[in-house]
Amino acid sequence: MRVDDELLSRLEKLSMLKIDESERTECIEQLDKIVSFVQNLSSLDTDGVDEVFAMNQSATALRLDEPRSSSDIADDILKNAPLSEDSFFIVPKIIE
Amino acid sequence: MKLREALKLDSSGIAKLKDELRAKVDNSLLNAFISLDEAGDGVPIAIKDNIQVKGWSVTAGSKILQGYISPYNATVIDKLKGAGLCAFGRTNMDEFAMGSTTESSYYGKTLNPHDNSCVPGGSSGGSAAAVASGEAIAALGSDTGGSIRQPAAYCGIVGMKPTYGRVSRYGLGAYASSLDQIGPMTQDVEDAALLYDIISGYDQNDSTSADVEYESVVDKLDGNRVLNIGITPSHLENAAPQIQKAYKKAVKALKDAGHNIVECTLLDPKYDISAYYITATAEATTNLARYDGVRYGRRAESDTLEQLYINSRSEGFGDEVKRRILLGNFVLSSGYYDAYYIKAQKVRRVIKDEYAKLFEKVDLILSPVAPTTAPKFGALSDPLQMYLSDIYTIGVNLAGLPAISLPVNKDEDTLPIGLQLIAAPYDEQTLFDGALSLERALETL
Repeated sequence: MRVDDELLSRLEKLSMLKIDESERTECIEQLDKIVSFVQNLSSLDTDGVDEVFAMNQSATALRLDEPRSSSDIADDILKNAPLSEDSFFIVPKIIE
Repeated sequence: MKLREALKLDSSGIAKLKDELRAKVDNSLLNAFISLDEAGDGVPIAIKDNIQVKGWSVTAGSKILQGYISPYNATVIDKLKGAGLCAFGRTNMDEFAMGSTTESSYYGKTLNPHDNSCVPGGSSGGSAAAVASGEAIAALGSDTGGSIRQPAAYCGIVGMKPTYGRVSRYGLGAYASSLDQIGPMTQDVEDAALLYDIISGYDQNDSTSADVEYESVVDKLDGNRVLNIGITPSHLENAAPQIQKAYKKAVKALKDAGHNIVECTLLDPKYDISAYYITATAEATTNLARYDGVRYGRRAESDTLEQLYINSRSEGFGDEVKRRILLGNFVLSSGYYDAYYIKAQKVRRVIKDEYAKLFEKVDLILSPVAPTTAPKFGALSDPLQMYLSDIYTIGVNLAGLPAISLPVNKDEDTLPIGLQLIAAPYDEQTLFDGALSLERALETL
């Protein structure tokens, strides 16, 4: 598996990131080195090993379905957001 | 002043201590602190910049969180408060805890107090440098792949990573959720046990918090217990000569203290690195998707919503964070998911099972923390080289184990060398008992 410009473009799209033109070559080289290194895992035999890993084997804890909320937290988040009004975050127009 | 001494101070004594700390930080060139925020009364504890303190600008060392104000306290902060301690100062860190040197912080580098041309380690480099220089009596850090233990080793202090699930992650800025743990960074083992007791315990606000009965450790500390301690000679090949020398010294100290030394083998740690960087980047890419410039932190103004996302993230994240987001999306994307992500999860299970088997015959494992002493600034600028330097710390995170790093020796340039003890899950008592024994044995060596 080699990392090339096409793959980097795909990853940028998935990541909502844009890598600067001047940094692309170095970025590709570094990603390629890391991806090549982690391929060492293929030399380990893991046949029959469960593919689902969880730190704690018991199921996720359940609780009664009672609403818990702290309106102060919501108010503070909105107050400190880059742009907000009433109970809304404001973003550029998304419908023409 | 040790933490346990500070806890005996009356309010005027605490006020005086805080004045002294403020003066030290003001006159310091280390850049261990981003800012000396305060939150209430109590014995002052320095807090890594990824732990939420209500009203503080908590930024995970990142440009993208500039302007964010934390609207609530992390559980560990409430626990500090409940025990008569308080958050005192935000410490510097690698951006989003992704790094081993604290060089990737938006706030510039932190200097190692023992040699200002060397890194303090990372990602909790600010916390480690603060405790080592006396600018803090104790600190909290977070450890995803060694980020408490490695800077502790580089700065000559004690750093402890609890069992996964022991300490609530509620209010910890998430990097890799199945690996992250908050832990104490202190001047000695007893202080670490004390602070660990204060922050530990089940928390219903963290679904991965372990719902097990909690028993305090510090009141039962026993440095005289005889333990079976595993050593891993084959692992040492990757370590510099001065680290190997420190390892031998620690083994001798443990033997002299009456412990049984048992030779063990572990899987080649190159597999730990791969399983770790696949798992951690996959989780990081998911956790960092929330930083979009819309709800909190810094926004890059743009004409369209998509450009707003892309510009906010491209301007707000540093190079290492971007690299890990790209890698995470690679290992999770269709076509590569099975070969990378699923494979890494299988290897993770193999590593966890291997440790479990080892702990059937030993109580603790003695291991290096890092292959060298603190490197010079810039020495780990190649990302893969930096990842390889995590070789001794990340197995512990992959398997969810508790471990403690403590100073053992100094190299010829007087840089500290730390080694770690590793215990079975939830066996923090044995971990602290063994560490106390080693600390005392080294004093008399």
